[in-house]
Amino acid sequence: MAHHPRAPLGVLVVEDEALLAMDIEAMVEDTGHRVVGEGASLHDVVALDEALQPDLAFVDLQLAKGTNGLDVCALIRSRWPDTMIVFLTANPLKIPADFAGAHGVIAKPFSRSGLLSAMRYIAEGVIDPPPVSAQPSSFVAAPAFAASWADQA
Amino acid sequence: MKQRDDWHLTEILDYQHGRADPFAAAVRATRMPMVITDPGQRDNPIVFCNEAFQNLTGYGRDEIIGRNCRFLQGPDTDPAAVTEVRTAIEHGDDIGIDLLNYRKDGSTFWNALYLSPVRDDAGKIRFFFASQLDVSDRIEAQQSIAEAKQALDREVAARTADLEAALAAKTLLLHEVDHRVKNNLTMIGSLLRLQARGIGDPAITAKLEAMLERIDALATVHRRLYQSDDVTRFDVGAFAENLVSDVIGSSGRTDIRLEADIVPVEVASNQAAALGLILNEIVTNSVKHAFVDGRGGTIRLIARRDGDHATIDIRDDGRGIDPDRVEPDGLGRMLITRLARQLQATVEWLDAGPGTRILLSFPVQA
Repeated sequence: MAHHPRAPLGVLVVEDEALLAMDIEAMVEDTGHRVVGEGASLHDVVALDEALQPDLAFVDLQLAKGTNGLDVCALIRSRWPDTMIVFLTANPLKIPADFAGAHGVIAKPFSRSGLLSAMRYIAEGVIDPPPVSAQPSSFVAAPAFAASWADQA
Repeated sequence: MKQRDDWHLTEILDYQHGRADPFAAAVRATRMPMVITDPGQRDNPIVFCNEAFQNLTGYGRDEIIGRNCRFLQGPDTDPAAVTEVRTAIEHGDDIGIDLLNYRKDGSTFWNALYLSPVRDDAGKIRFFFASQLDVSDRIEAQQSIAEAKQALDREVAARTADLEAALAAKTLLLHEVDHRVKNNLTMIGSLLRLQARGIGDPAITAKLEAMLERIDALATVHRRLYQSDDVTRFDVGAFAENLVSDVIGSSGRTDIRLEADIVPVEVASNQAAALGLILNEIVTNSVKHAFVDGRGGTIRLIARRDGDHATIDIRDDGRGIDPDRVEPDGLGRMLITRLARQLQATVEWLDAGPGTRILLSFPVQA
């Protein structure tokens, strides 16, 4: 990462299930971070302000209006290259081996404790890498990304 | 050359007439079709054929003598087999081979040809001697067996394709159901979490949070089951480690350590939910009550299997058993008691001095 943001992190939540989006946003705030944007489809993310510059994005794989998280991931990478991207999906097997350039995945159904410990771990990794906590079982880091943390350790 | 031909042909002519020589008479009279060719003449023509050969091929003697044997070949004769025969003749070797040959009337027969050179005292090849045998019955039997086998192979392949398609449909259905279950569990969890947020009463909030942890435990059980290679088996040891680290992680406590010493303890999937809920009660209780008032420590998790019996041993070095401790949610103990009975499991609370040791023992099918 080019720069290390400070807490609270600005988090973008891209999730088409309204209940889950509310829930994730609540948990993000419970860990002391800030939700800076949300969307249910690729179109919503396209419409977001360029100046948003989220530090972290949670992206569901299956999105509204027939769009998908892989395209959202590509859009975020081109628009905000420093944003850390974490997929949230019930189908982790659908993620390509290189994670399409994203940084990790949290499998659904996630538990509150699972999401909170993943959130804590990711925040440590974003603000002052590498993370000091042990990697929680709820979070799987992308191979390339895990390697970059190993380099800094 | 002329002299040599004369020498042999005279003899053969004698044989044709069956004079004096009993071997010649035998060759003439045998039911085994036979020919002799002369490689000394241009194109190695047939110089003798017996009556059996005429009967087999349908040609008369005058149509046979003077021709090369290839006149028996036809459109379906295998060129590779013909090449083998020609090569054997060029090298002066013996050969035995099955050839598809044609009779005068155009009908075909399988000819088991045996051909050998006949050498003079100096080792020079004087003649080729060939016997033929109609083996159409044998070849056709082989072919019909091969065809029957091919038909069977085709049937097996078609059947296998059907079964694979049925399996694929079933797998798809399983994934669809799995997806729905996951979605529903995720939504139940979200609903409870959202509800818990708005409540001011700490007692009700604690109850809702305990309920959330139970739903989370069920969700984790489901996820582990469907991410494993075998949905009918569930590894309780790995689940317990997963659960303890998640519960410690979400508590945000960095002063509680986990020491896990586990082996795979696989149970049938229908026991997974009950075991998951029991472990959830034990573990959340440990983390919530053992390490209070700024007290940190270690949780040791040991999973063992001994034949048809397994134990999960969870020890903390926290403040120890408080017999008067009132559960904030009496449901916890009740769940442990009832679910343990269902699993024929026992749960013992022991004083580990310092701390508490909880021993969960249960039968597993071998």
